[in-house]
Amino acid sequence: MALFLRSLTRQGTCLSRSQFGVLYRHAVPMGTTAKEEMNKFWAKNNKLNRPMSPHVTVYKWSVPMMMSISHRGTGLGLSAGVSAFALLALVLPGSYPYYLDLIHSQSFGPALIGLAKFGIAFPLSYHTFNGIRHLCWDSGKGFKIPEVYGSGYTVIVLTVLTTIAAVAYKGAA
Amino acid sequence: MAAIVRISSLCHRGVKPLFHRSSLLLRPLGVQQKDQDRPYQLTARIHGSPSLYSGSGSKAASLHWTGERVVSVMLLALGPAAYYIPGPAIDYSLAAAITLHSHWGIGQVLTDYIHGESKIKVANACLFLLSTVTFAGLCYFNHNDVGICKAVALLWSK
Repeated sequence: MALFLRSLTRQGTCLSRSQFGVLYRHAVPMGTTAKEEMNKFWAKNNKLNRPMSPHVTVYKWSVPMMMSISHRGTGLGLSAGVSAFALLALVLPGSYPYYLDLIHSQSFGPALIGLAKFGIAFPLSYHTFNGIRHLCWDSGKGFKIPEVYGSGYTVIVLTVLTTIAAVAYKGAA
Repeated sequence: MAAIVRISSLCHRGVKPLFHRSSLLLRPLGVQQKDQDRPYQLTARIHGSPSLYSGSGSKAASLHWTGERVVSVMLLALGPAAYYIPGPAIDYSLAAAITLHSHWGIGQVLTDYIHGESKIKVANACLFLLSTVTFAGLCYFNHNDVGICKAVALLWSK
């Protein structure tokens, strides 16, 4: 501290008594973006081979946490399904109705069809209802903790009901 | 150490200067020593709010965020539309909206979990390839086969 004051004396940085006077000599804005800062963090810690602190293994799981990762999980699962379907469409020689009838005519066919309906309905309805919940948050609403839990349970109940209705429903061809 | 650091000037100005759009916020600290009759002034650099950079930076990130929400809402609308007015228009709209929503969603996942410049680049390149093939496959299905709406209807009719 004394060293600092002595260096100041040498520089002669005495100012007038104006309370609002500022020194712009050192006015340089910060040069890094958030992205750069994040990359620096990871580069440094990976280089030092530092282990990751336990986080998901030690933190107590809560319903909002589980719903959040499920939203991500259902999203990834649905994307994988869509991409797989698109790839098959490009690669397989026959038409969709042909393959659908082929599967349906097998002994395990109807069970497989039912499984497919569930496999689409459950993640799709969960992701959709939780997606609406996310959009509400994006508009600024529903952040109070009771509201977070309330909307969360609503999403779960709606998902279950919609999935049951979807799997049970059989439309006309 | 007899020095007394005085932040009185900051107290005088209050909190309002923190919200001003100046490129840098400086505050003078009055350092006084009892045996010195002249106060020395130091400056300290402090970080302001993120709005500091809005003048020189790009709006790409914020526009991307808005775009994501717009596509999400459109996808919500396409659901009932696909049920009530199935057809090629909805088929291709669904193909586009699903692929884009998926692409951006997976992009966020990659951003969260993948670190390191080259790894990020490779991952995003793979994602781009996947999304392109997915969109191509869906369009091919819409054009050469029954189309998305009809496919779902057929599955639910069995």
